Amino acid sequence: MTDLHELDELLRAQEGDAGCDAGIPIMDQYVDIELRGEDPSERFPGTAIHLRVCPGCRADHDGVLEAARRFGELDPE
Amino acid sequence: MLSFRSIPCDTTVCRGSSSRHWSRPAPSSYHPVVPVERAAPAGRASLRWVEQLRSDHPRNAETAAKLHDVLHRAALHELHRRRGQLAGLSGPELDDVAQQCADDAMMKILGRLDDFEGLSRFTTWAYKFVIFEVSSKVARHAWQRHPPSAGDLTWDQVPDALAPRPADQAERREQLATLTDAIEADLTPRQREVFVAIALNDVPIDVLALQLDSNRNAIYKNLFDARRKLRASLAAAGHPIEGEEAA
Repeated sequence: MTDLHELDELLRAQEGDAGCDAGIPIMDQYVDIELRGEDPSERFPGTAIHLRVCPGCRADHDGVLEAARRFGELDPE
Repeated sequence: MLSFRSIPCDTTVCRGSSSRHWSRPAPSSYHPVVPVERAAPAGRASLRWVEQLRSDHPRNAETAAKLHDVLHRAALHELHRRRGQLAGLSGPELDDVAQQCADDAMMKILGRLDDFEGLSRFTTWAYKFVIFEVSSKVARHAWQRHPPSAGDLTWDQVPDALAPRPADQAERREQLATLTDAIEADLTPRQREVFVAIALNDVPIDVLALQLDSNRNAIYKNLFDARRKLRASLAAAGHPIEGEEAA
């Protein structure tokens, strides 16, 4: 640690954090909102806060977003 | 006032692996089903996925195979994205893990078709399952190969991250000393263990959850509470942290 910003990061605990489990059922909706170019924090503010802090959930979110972007909305036909 | 909203575990997606493997279902006679309700955000493609994945749809087998194929490719891509945690795995082994992830995701998707509410695209919903499978298997692999050491979890010496440097000002030294004291005096043993491992020694949260026979949400709650307590301790000692995310 070299400055106050790093200490702030180390102790980051923000009001309204929805926690890990809250993001699981809505992760697909959250990602689809992003894919539409909209801001998911308006609908899911607690998860938006959480994703900035929790590296595990952020990695999962980034994976779903990456898959949705890369492989897209396929049609079964 | 800070709050950590603990929401009951989701019932539509489960982390962890399954010993069962997906296999292409046998064709059966078709009986049209009623399209899912509340499907406004989902398009026709999503409705077709759900309908054609029903076991009695004539296109069930090829639809399931198409979904499995894209889940496998998504799993492989995600495994490559997380290859930093997969030391020792490459080529055929990596593909085998991707196959397992796709199989397990497929089983869960087919078992939960009725849970798809059409609130997102079906494919995004399906990708979620396979990414969670990858996440779970990567964490287990990392834990088995490199479980956290005793030094990662215990507080028997001040980690380098909290050691004052020669150039630090006196106030900074006091701040770090207060934080060190608070970690020892103000946290519960579990909060201290979690904070030391994750915040100070960079142990991945899922690896720690496996080590402590817990789960990500419970570990995160411990971490959140520890951080909140430490912020309060610093503030009470006259060293408030006033960054943009300050408590």
